[in-house]
Amino acid sequence: MQLPQFPGTNIEILLYENVSNVDAIRSRVVELPYAFIDASAICSVEQIMSAIYRVMIEANYNRLRTKTLHSEILLALSPTSNIGEAFKRFGLKENTKNLFMIQITQDKTSNVDKTLVKGDIIEFKDESIERMSDIETIKKIYKIDQSLHLKNNTQLSRAVVDAIQLRGL
Amino acid sequence: MSQEIIDTVAQYLTPSIPIKLISQGAEAVVFSTAVHPYCPMRETASGNEPTQYIIKYRSPKKYRHPIIDKQLTKHRTLSESRLLAKLFLIEHLNVPKLIATDVYNGYIWLEFLGEDLPNNCGYSNLKNFLWMYANDPYNEQVKNTLFEVGKQIGLLHWNDYCHGDLTTSNIVLAKDDNGIDWVPYLIDFGLGSQSNMVEDKGVDLYVLERAIISTHSSFSGKYNQWLIDGFSSIYKAQGKTGAKKLEEVLKRFADVRMRGRKRTMVG
Repeated sequence: MQLPQFPGTNIEILLYENVSNVDAIRSRVVELPYAFIDASAICSVEQIMSAIYRVMIEANYNRLRTKTLHSEILLALSPTSNIGEAFKRFGLKENTKNLFMIQITQDKTSNVDKTLVKGDIIEFKDESIERMSDIETIKKIYKIDQSLHLKNNTQLSRAVVDAIQLRGL
Repeated sequence: MSQEIIDTVAQYLTPSIPIKLISQGAEAVVFSTAVHPYCPMRETASGNEPTQYIIKYRSPKKYRHPIIDKQLTKHRTLSESRLLAKLFLIEHLNVPKLIATDVYNGYIWLEFLGEDLPNNCGYSNLKNFLWMYANDPYNEQVKNTLFEVGKQIGLLHWNDYCHGDLTTSNIVLAKDDNGIDWVPYLIDFGLGSQSNMVEDKGVDLYVLERAIISTHSSFSGKYNQWLIDGFSSIYKAQGKTGAKKLEEVLKRFADVRMRGRKRTMVG
């Protein structure tokens, strides 16, 4: 997949369910050329995509705050500019069951290693994502007031996208 | 000059994002497009009509020093985006959804609101809507719509935000989920700000009143009354504090009307 504004960059997103080898992946996260994101902190397609878009804007018109585009996605997802915090919140945890594996490359063909993560690949769409999200955690991460009127996932996602687009600016 | 700006935008967006110029102001140029910046699946989601998006671009101004120009563009793009994010969190207030911002280049992506009115009456902003009802100016739908517009402004002001350029073109009507009633949205917060000053609120109300008087003069008396009724209803729902603050705002509104928008400065 490409973003219309950045046709030279290829983006691969895989959503895994019931992952059995999270520990093995966690121990190698630094060396693997992918971004791994705990699916419980994600509520929609647009949350992931708007973070990737933000990464592309920063990479092309400003500068990266982390070492790679992949780690930059985790920072972009975060409402704060603290990199360690971003990794803690959106990175893989001991108890992670479902995860996103994302690759950003300048290659035309994708070369994602689908054998790396042991789990079931499911379609990258809102219905699947919503099943895995932990709404209370997401509200806490983005400091979205509990008493707020965000009635449905669409509204929650909109507040989250706002935070992603405006972080640190 | 204008073509130069369009070329810059087209180059930034690449040919995969075709754009249509819809408005040009002193500060920014506004385009529409059917391409979402990062959610390709959104474009065909609703089925029949293609979803549209708004791109607001603040072009570099040649009369400014390049360094200052960059800072100003970044600052203004960011303030408008931030304001939209904050206003979304106010319950019942309707503002366009922020999709993306690129403060380094001066771009804001927003959801497109409104539609074309029937019988070639033009795009569904408040101005064209009132023109559409020129033959039936005191129609119940006109009354309800203006009352609802007044409520939106009331909500904005009650929460201590000001619009800064409240005209009938900057109020857009979109059909609600049932497809029958018009829901007003306030757009273009380029001059908006957080403000608890009665002066700013009074000026907002005055600017809108002037806009109504100048384009719909024969019916402006009733129209402005309905707007103020809607506006007041928000404050009155807030008990004693609301009533007191309402009185302050309306008093200042009357003062501004007497002297004009700009306070006289002599000497």
